[in-house]
Amino acid sequence: MTQLSPFTSHEVADLLDEAQRVRGSLDRGFRDHLVESIYHDAAAIAGRVTRRGKAAGFDLDRVIDRIVLSPVLGLPLMLLLLGLIFWTTIIGANYPSQMLATGLFWIEAQAAAMFEAMGAPWWLTGFIWHGVYRGLAWVISVMLPPMAIFFPCFTILEDLGYLPRVAYNLDWLFKKSGGHGKQALTMSMGFGCNAAGVIACRVIDSPRERLIAILTNNFVPCNGRYPTLILIAMVIVGAGFAPTAASAIAAASVLMVVVIGVIATLLASALLSHTLLKGQASAFTLELPSYRRPNIGRIIYTSLIDRTIFVLLRAIATAAPAGAVIWLLGNIHAGASGGTLDQHVAGFLDPLGHLIGLDGVILLAYIIAIPANEIVVPTMLMVYMSTGMMTEDVSHDSLRQVLVEQHGWTMLTAINLMLFSLLHNPCATTIITMWKETRSLRWTALGAVGPLVVAFAVCFIVAQAAHLFGLG
Amino acid sequence: MILTNQNSDAKSQQSGLWGWLSRWKARRQQHRMEDLLKHLHACERRRRTASVESAAGFLHVSTRRAMTLIAQAEARGLLRRAANGLALTDHGRELAMAVLRAHRLWERYLADEAGMPLPRVHATANRLEHERVGDQVDELDAVLGFPHTDPHGDPIPSAAGQLAAVPGIALTDWSTGEAGHIVHLEDEPAFVFRQIVDLKLMPGQRLQLQSVDEHGQYEVNIDGRTLLLSPQVAANVYLEPLQELHPTAIAAPRRLSELHQSEAAVIDRIDDSLRGLSRRRLLDLGMTPGTVVSAEHTAMFRDPTAYRVRGTLVALRREQADRILLRDESTGE
Repeated sequence: MTQLSPFTSHEVADLLDEAQRVRGSLDRGFRDHLVESIYHDAAAIAGRVTRRGKAAGFDLDRVIDRIVLSPVLGLPLMLLLLGLIFWTTIIGANYPSQMLATGLFWIEAQAAAMFEAMGAPWWLTGFIWHGVYRGLAWVISVMLPPMAIFFPCFTILEDLGYLPRVAYNLDWLFKKSGGHGKQALTMSMGFGCNAAGVIACRVIDSPRERLIAILTNNFVPCNGRYPTLILIAMVIVGAGFAPTAASAIAAASVLMVVVIGVIATLLASALLSHTLLKGQASAFTLELPSYRRPNIGRIIYTSLIDRTIFVLLRAIATAAPAGAVIWLLGNIHAGASGGTLDQHVAGFLDPLGHLIGLDGVILLAYIIAIPANEIVVPTMLMVYMSTGMMTEDVSHDSLRQVLVEQHGWTMLTAINLMLFSLLHNPCATTIITMWKETRSLRWTALGAVGPLVVAFAVCFIVAQAAHLFGLG
Repeated sequence: MILTNQNSDAKSQQSGLWGWLSRWKARRQQHRMEDLLKHLHACERRRRTASVESAAGFLHVSTRRAMTLIAQAEARGLLRRAANGLALTDHGRELAMAVLRAHRLWERYLADEAGMPLPRVHATANRLEHERVGDQVDELDAVLGFPHTDPHGDPIPSAAGQLAAVPGIALTDWSTGEAGHIVHLEDEPAFVFRQIVDLKLMPGQRLQLQSVDEHGQYEVNIDGRTLLLSPQVAANVYLEPLQELHPTAIAAPRRLSELHQSEAAVIDRIDDSLRGLSRRRLLDLGMTPGTVVSAEHTAMFRDPTAYRVRGTLVALRREQADRILLRDESTGE
């Protein structure tokens, strides 16, 4: 090394001394001048080698921005766009879901019959086909169609350059709550996946505000929770209305849940910045890029390969073992009454569940679904059916029959389930991501337990208020 | 350079609650010892005499405990008892300087990079200054770009332990009509410093003393604002004369935040009070002196505003647009 260096160590030391001495005589603003001269040179070069077209009288970007960034129209337009996406998802996902389910469950029946014909023991057939496989089939048929519609729609908005404008429109809210304007961006990433949203918080440079964004990201529903929300909205909430209005009402209720999630994010941020993470709202600089024509190829690639398939694979990876656990819980009999394990646990959780307007089965489903929120609904239905396997009937009418008529669900149960799904603790992946990003067990614990406490508190208040007014 | 008890190595080997407790006690002992040296150093700088009583008061401990601590420091050759009180040895002064250097570098970091409000910076740095591992402090110095002063304008000791004199002249020794820029804001006592922060005074601001009224109130002009300072505040604000009287320095300069919709102007400079990360970010976006900017869109409640800079749209919050000063077109600059 020393042979390669043109300087002796003595010369290097002299040079460092010289630097130390000169540094003292530097003007305070020398960094500014440095940047200034770089920009000056760059502008000179650009001026020499590029030609600027005549400034057009009509600038489309500017016209669009006048509407999108308008203080009056900006926010309503944003809500309208989001509502439209939900509505499209709900309308479009219904039929393919049922088709997928029919096909996948047909395979299950054939395979199980083949196993039996080959003389495989009942528990092997049950464990593999009615446990693991059925878990997978459920997750794929419930999740794949909504994701295949929701993600491309969202990616189009992203590709257009709309997301920074969302951050711009929401900045005054985040400023009031003591957060960073870019928290609106990381929040929108959370709509896709909370773990991705937590990683996205790296774009926030101030440590205090980054922590706030990480801890509150969970309050917006990720796509793992959309199937639950959309399903409940369609089956229980929308069904109470005329068939023509049902899908619009369902979309509106999902939009409501999202708005409540945003409000919860803001309140939690304000609470944090007034207690644990005191400080003033810091700088906010945000580039608003010019609009681009969406690139269809890239949209299909990022939304279907990067997002849909990635999320689906993760769901499958957690749903398979969860399916096995569900099957075991539903098939092991214990106690004097001879009930299955899941019935015992659900019975034990029941009083707590009723206190917050839910029931024991729902809580059990959430405990099993900690690795992935995607499998909450399948788990719930399976325990309700008590057939020892997940139900294969996914038609909405029969679902409503099971939930409302056999298990006493009310509108309150539906609303509280949606609220609980929105506010409860993040999934295991998000918790691990929080730890990776903060490297602090304490903040991770707060990020995991805090939302759960909020979820219990909100559901408890809603349930008790409903009981008080004689509803539900 | 970190102080440890002679037998702390043996103690730190212990595990369990007892080991944890003894390590905690050793650390608290180290913090108190370093605080004692800091106090002696501050007295030395102000040419005051340090005594057992003054040390006890500074450390918030009983006189007896302070005496034990002083005896221990003396045994380790960090201080000696002089005829008129306590004095640092060379070794003790070296250590005090290392603590002071860590303290002020941390203050710089917390204020500029972490965006912590100024009144809380001091207390946090008081905790961090004792955790000096390896050459962490030198790394911090390099990361911050070898700053000369802390956010209050106090000089930061060099790695070799050299400490420059506190710069500037107090506003109370300033004469009417004279202009200067703020170089130092004394951060003790804390309640006066809080008033200074509430008045939004910051090192780097240009100030002109207008008059002193019969109640001893100082009327000053700072970047176009007229403020009344109490004598206590004025005594804690230190200034240096301006080398050249910039025409826009004292007259109220226009700020980017005052720009009307679709109005264009030229940036004069970014206020010196905006430092660290947020300043670099503005410069990186091309908001350099001489750049033309125009206000294009304003969000709900007039915050933030989107500005057109070098062909791109950049949104800024009001607080930042406030710190960007515009060129006065009427002077034809």
